[in-house]
Amino acid sequence: MPGTNTLQSNIQKEIVELSTAIGGLVNSFKRLQNPLEESRNKVPQATDQLDKINEQTEAAAHQMLDMIEQITAREEEILEQIDQTRACLESGDNDKILSCLRIIAEKAQTNLNDSFLIMDALQFQDITSQQMNHAASLLEDIEHKLHTIIGVFDSNDGDSEDEKESNARTAKAGKVRAFDPHADLFEKKTNQNDIDSLFDNNGK
Amino acid sequence: MADLKILAVDDSPTMRRIIINTLKRAGYSDVTEASDGKDALAKLKVDQFNFVITDWNMPEMDGLQFVTTLRATAEYKDMPVLMVTTRSVKDDIVEAMKAGVNNYIVKPFTPDTLKEKIEQVLAS
Repeated sequence: MPGTNTLQSNIQKEIVELSTAIGGLVNSFKRLQNPLEESRNKVPQATDQLDKINEQTEAAAHQMLDMIEQITAREEEILEQIDQTRACLESGDNDKILSCLRIIAEKAQTNLNDSFLIMDALQFQDITSQQMNHAASLLEDIEHKLHTIIGVFDSNDGDSEDEKESNARTAKAGKVRAFDPHADLFEKKTNQNDIDSLFDNNGK
Repeated sequence: MADLKILAVDDSPTMRRIIINTLKRAGYSDVTEASDGKDALAKLKVDQFNFVITDWNMPEMDGLQFVTTLRATAEYKDMPVLMVTTRSVKDDIVEAMKAGVNNYIVKPFTPDTLKEKIEQVLAS
């Protein structure tokens, strides 16, 4: 029967097309698996890095505020001692004047030392800047993976305008972005004594 | 100490200011700054230095490339180099040693450590 043959042939053709479409879909999902997995791993890394920046900048700010509060308190004591010195100058109490000057000198020296400690604490800026660059680099990787995912569903061949723009932005940033992914304000993978031992033993 | 001319190489302007102030306090007042290895090589060509303090992670030319270039140049092969960086992984430190750094400090550093390491390098 010719009608049955045509129907059979049409069904067969549809099944082949369906099978090809399913095959294509499976391949697309396979292509999605890698970028999805990589994105899934990088999102928590970027989040951890941003949390670390938040935590470490806050700790550094507190460290500096503690020292500024101590310096301010000492400045008030210095001003008090200057007032006492003035009063002693009028009364001619030389012993008291010398005592006040000694206290002023001690407090001024402590303030000078603390000012340098604040400067040391400001090293956090370099460290957190590297942590931010690391987080930005992870986010850029995720952006690229998302473009790959979009590309799977996009019927157009070649890079989309968004992807081209993203690639150009990343390439430009990459030229100025230099960072240590392990940069940390509080945790050093190797302490100074171990570094000194390495140098003493020529790296062994 | 007074005639020591130091080249401080770091891409972070904040870090350069901290290093310069720390050095001044330690008695080393003749310090020139450079923002990366490339800039440092340019400064070395126009001025005489007898000590280099360099960071590792920098754009254009990083500290490791910079030290490798110095060691490959007859004029600077014996230049004392102290690396001051956030990199604290042992393998990185060994890599820096192989490149030719004379000593190594991990950031954040204390003024005492910086002074001590400069003195150690100069004495060796």
